[in-house]
Formats: sequence, structure tokens, C-alpha cells
Amino acid sequence: MQREVGTLPLAPVLRARLAAAGFQTAQELLDTGPCGLSKEIGISREEALEALQVVRQECHGHARTAEGSSSTRKCTALELLEEEQSQGFIITFCSALDNILGGGVQLTKITEICGAPGVGKTQLCMQLAVDVQIPECFGGVAGEAVFIDTEGSFMVDRVVDIAAACVQHCHLIAEAQQEEDHQKALETFSLENILSHIYYFRCRDYTELLAQVYLLPEFLSEHSKVRLVVIDGIAFPFRHDFEDLSLRTRLLNGLAQQLIIIANDHRAAVVLTNQMTTRIGQSQSTLVPALGESWGHAATIRLIFHWDNSQRLATLYKSPSQKESTIAYHITSHGFRDVQPPAVTPSTEGTELNPRKRPRTEEEKQQ
Amino acid sequence: MGEPGREKERPGPSAGAGSRKERAGCGEPGRSLLFPLPVAMVVLRAGLCPGLSEDMIQLLSANGIRTVVDFVSSDLEDVAQKCSLSYKALVAVRRVLLAQFSAFPANGADLYEELKSSTAILPTGSPSLDQLLDSGLYTGEVTELMGAPGTGKTQVCLGIAASVSLGLKQHVLFLDSTGGFTASRLYQMLRAQTEDEEEQLEALQRVRVERVFNIYEVLRALQELRDRLSQQVVSSMGPLKVVVLDSVSAVIYPLLGGRQSEGLALMMQLSRELKTLAREFSLAVVVTNQVTRDSSTGTLKPALGRSWSFVPSTRVLLESKEATWGKCSTQRAASLAKSPRQPTGIQVELDIGNGDVLDPSLVTPTQGL
Repeated sequence: MQREVGTLPLAPVLRARLAAAGFQTAQELLDTGPCGLSKEIGISREEALEALQVVRQECHGHARTAEGSSSTRKCTALELLEEEQSQGFIITFCSALDNILGGGVQLTKITEICGAPGVGKTQLCMQLAVDVQIPECFGGVAGEAVFIDTEGSFMVDRVVDIAAACVQHCHLIAEAQQEEDHQKALETFSLENILSHIYYFRCRDYTELLAQVYLLPEFLSEHSKVRLVVIDGIAFPFRHDFEDLSLRTRLLNGLAQQLIIIANDHRAAVVLTNQMTTRIGQSQSTLVPALGESWGHAATIRLIFHWDNSQRLATLYKSPSQKESTIAYHITSHGFRDVQPPAVTPSTEGTELNPRKRPRTEEEKQQ
Repeated sequence: MGEPGREKERPGPSAGAGSRKERAGCGEPGRSLLFPLPVAMVVLRAGLCPGLSEDMIQLLSANGIRTVVDFVSSDLEDVAQKCSLSYKALVAVRRVLLAQFSAFPANGADLYEELKSSTAILPTGSPSLDQLLDSGLYTGEVTELMGAPGTGKTQVCLGIAASVSLGLKQHVLFLDSTGGFTASRLYQMLRAQTEDEEEQLEALQRVRVERVFNIYEVLRALQELRDRLSQQVVSSMGPLKVVVLDSVSAVIYPLLGGRQSEGLALMMQLSRELKTLAREFSLAVVVTNQVTRDSSTGTLKPALGRSWSFVPSTRVLLESKEATWGKCSTQRAASLAKSPRQPTGIQVELDIGNGDVLDPSLVTPTQGL
């Protein structure tokens, strides 16, 4: 194999010695064998054997990808299209937001939510952690969630409220439609079940966060039903007490690559929340997402939540397949919801129905 | 015919290209692009040339002659005496080594004819972008698209893939390192250009996507591509014309800076692979890059620094028009930051809207960037 020595993942010291000894291609290394190699560049036999093993693995293929990667890395666009079309979305219960996202939060992509404090980022994260568990017959992906909390803003009582509202909603749909599999799915879709399938990790500084993300692939191979990884507050550990900014950029970029590998290999959606910071320009100052310019490239999809007087708005700022647009949303006691259009005659509304029900499921009970 | 002028700019392209050419006869007939190895680095091995035997090599290395350049530049009479080898044999070996490893001079006219016959210009799917690039993407060159997040780099790349696979019926290799490739968006673009479903599906099949998330995977993918192309395996990979790497900064950024010494070396390895691929197989290579903020002046500049800025021959900067999020538009401005053919500073408008990467108008050229 004519792979150059410089492109192999060996230690830099080893690479330098190989270059000095005149080795050019991987084939030459393999031909020389471990004894010849250890003699020529002055390393021990074990090191030479290890190096040759790495070389062999690189050249002869894909032994590495056997760690449970369900999606192949190489395919044609047609195959990818079929995969995408059969993939579900994680709905947010706010149909306007789902619409601008193209159906909901996409699996295998990183979505970033930026916003000022109090605008609803953690609320959406908790809503998604519940929504990912909705059974497939109701339009969900029936997965589990991993919640990595760095700010300590995860409130279990709030999740209980959201989950209860979600379960009630599904019950209503089941009653309206009266199908077999709905009833069966509802047996397992209960409050205790939802809560037990949210795996919660608390990370207090950036080292813990990096370690947690590093260990995540192993965790995900054991819990193969996880379809959502939320990191609530990726900015917090990196913003306070970090002196070396170039180190921060490097770590963040490495983290982004690890997350996209996780998203891809385990078919999970990764959702990150970010803070806002002020950028002072020549004449005015603007509010921009924190963590710098290069972090903006890490997320595939970027949502910015902001206020307009007292209305909460969400703007889709970056997406590979959807146009930029802005919608309004509400946060109610039941969770993340649409804003109801103000002057609309209530068509059919039973008193026990939640008035903020998603317009998508129009099977309202006829009273 | 070699290209000695270029040899100086790019020290030593692919190793073994010379010998591989003899074995497999790579490249089309008449296109003899011989890339000689840098003579300094090749170690003497048995079988490198007919007269060179294992014992000879042992004797030579005992006297400090290990590489070809040591051999060729040493005084052969001296060597014959010290190693007790026959002078005639040494001279014969030297002649063969020189023939094998040195460059052949070529004249400019031949070079020009060669380039004229092998270079193609590919339309990007957006007429104003084509105008900016002097009628399109040139094969044999590396073109870079840079911009802040959300300015449309991936969209333009998808537009190029759509136009090449549908319009020219050529294959495209898309190396995705950010997870931003969305097949449904590509499908949307194809649907906007043609109604025929057969054609759409065929075009989708001509776009090959590989997900590569770190630098070694990128290098491996490029190496595999090179092997496949040089052996002319036609089965899965049809006539390939474009390789897109989206984005190059995502894989290189984690390696640069700090106390890591190999980041820069790997970046240069990558650039060498990309350029030799482009030149040897007559491909257009498109890479996307980020922009970073200059800490002192606060202006945006391309990422990856000065060393990388020499790699692409054409650089296009994409910018969005607004800074607020109340008003969202699909208008983008593309300006030429570096080009071997056009004056820099030309700006055009692009619309990365719903149908496909189209453009409304050509803005008058502005001075500077």
C-alpha cells in the first residue's frame, strides 16, 4: 500500500525517526518487519510490533469501525436520502418550531440552542428529553435520553409536569383513534418509565465534561436505545476561569468532532445549549452566541431564542436544509408549546382538553 | 514529461509514483506526468535497480552510504576502494539510479498543450459564481470557500454536486467532516433543475458521500481514492471530476497550536494529497474553511493561518448581508480573495434559496475586500 508514513497515526517521535531513516511508504515498513525496524530506528521490539500493527490496521481497513456503528460511513447520496426519509424526528410539541426545523430535531445532527438567560433553553431540553420517548405509533422515535447538566438547572419536578402532560396528550390521542398498538404502547409509556429512561450526569467543570463525552460512546453502546444526548450549558464550564483561549478553541473543536462522531455512529440527536455574549462593534454592540467564531461551525443546526418585548421568539439561524425563519413560542405549565393565534373562533373544544394543544393533532373530541 | 518548475513549489509528491507508473501504467496514454521522488529521501534497498544486491547494500551502509543521494554524490573510486566493490558495477548502478530518480526537463509549449488537453472547467450551478471564478471550477486546482457559520458554504458545495452530477453526468466525491451533508436538500436542488425522476435518481447515485471525522480518516479516504483511480477501477467509481471536502478546518483545528508539533505537518500532508490528486487525475478539489476573528483588529480572516493560505489557488469569501435576526434573507455576497486569473475584490450576489443555488444579479466590482 502506497500510504505515506507521514499520514499514519503514529507518535510524532516515531514518525520523525522513520523519516530520518528514509522510510517513505507504509509498504516499506511492512516489508521490513519488526526486527529490521527496531534495528534501523533504534526502538524496542515491542514498540516496533505495536507500530506495525497500527500500520496494518490503517492499511487493511476497517477493523476499527466494528464498535457498533450502525450507519456506514460510505454511501451514495441516494442511500443517504432513503435513510433520511425513514428517520424520525424528535418533536418539540410546538408545531411552528417543528415546521421551521423541517419536522423536529433531527437525529445524527448537532443542534445548538443559544439564548439569553430565562428564555427557555433548558425548558426545551427537558421537553425533548421527554419527547424522545414517545412511542413510534404516536409519531415519536421511542428512544431514551442522556442529560448532561453543567449548570445545575435540571429540575425534576418540572420534568414530572412535562412528562405528565405528554402522557395525558397521548392518552387523548389513543382515545380518539382507538387503535390496538396505541393501547399497548401506552402501557409502557408511563411517568415512572419516562423518568427512568432519562440518564442524568452532572459535570462541574470542563475536565469532567470532556471526560464524560469521552466515555459516552461506551455508555451508548451499552444503552443502544438512546436517541438524544443533551448537554445543557456547554458554555458555562468553558467561560469562567479559562485563561488560555487557544487551548479553549482546540478543546471545543475536539469536543465538536467527538460529538458529531457520537451523533453519527449511534444515530442520536445531540442538543447543546449556549449562552449569549455582547460583541462590541465600531458603532453598536450586538448580542451574539458565546464561545467565539469557530464554535459557530461546530453545530450543524443553530437556533437562537430571543425576546421581542414580552414575546419569546425562536430564529433558525443555520441549517443545511431549511430556510432561515423566525417563529413565536410559549412556555406553559405543560411545557413548550405554540402560541395560539389570538383571534380565532374555537372550533370544537371540550372543557377538559388542553387549550394549547398542538394544532397538528386535530382530532379534537366532539362534545 | 515532467514538470520541473512545479517540483520546486511542491517538494516531493507521492512516493513511489514513478515506480508505480512503470508497473500499472497509470494515467491516460499520452499524459505522462512523471513525478520524480525527492532523491534525498530514498533509502538504498536490494532490487531498487538491477545491479544492486543485498551484500552491496550492506557494504555501502557500513561505510555510511544509505540513501540514493549519498550514493550518487559520493566519489565512486573512493567508494570502490573502501568497500572493495568493482568500479564498473558502481558506475552502472549510478547510471540506472540517475535515470530512475531524476527529473526530465520539459519545455513550456509542451506543458501548455498538456494543460489545455487535460483541464476542464466545471460549472458550479450558479452563473454569477461561475463568473466570479472565471467561468467555473478549474480541474487540476484546489478552490476554497470560506465564510462565517451560516453563510452558505455547504449550500454552495451541494449546488456544485448537483450541477456536476446532473448537468455533466460526472461523479462527485463528498467528504463530509461536519455532518452537514443533507441528502434531502440535494434532492430538493435536483428536483428544481429537472422534472425527470430517472435523472434525479441517477444523479443522486453519482454523488458518493464519505463521513470522515478526523484527519487520519481524511488521509485514508484520499489514499483509497488515489489507489482506486490509479488502478482505473471503473465499477463503483465512474468518471470522477470533483472532490469536495467540507470542511477542512474542522479536522485540522484540534491539531494546531499548543505544544503539538505534528499539526502543521499533517496539514501540509493533507494539502499535498489534495494537490497531487487534483493535478494527477485532473479533478477539481473544493474545500471549505472557517473564518476567525483577528484579536487585534477585530476583522474576519480565514482560519488555518498563513501556511494554509498558499494551498488553494482560488479563494472565495462568502458573507451574509444582515447582522440582525429579525430579518432573515437568503442573499449572500461572494467575493474573490485570491485567484490566479481574475482581479481580487470582485463581488457577486448569491441566493442560496429554496430551489437551488441561484443568483439574481452581478454586483459591480468593489475595491478591496
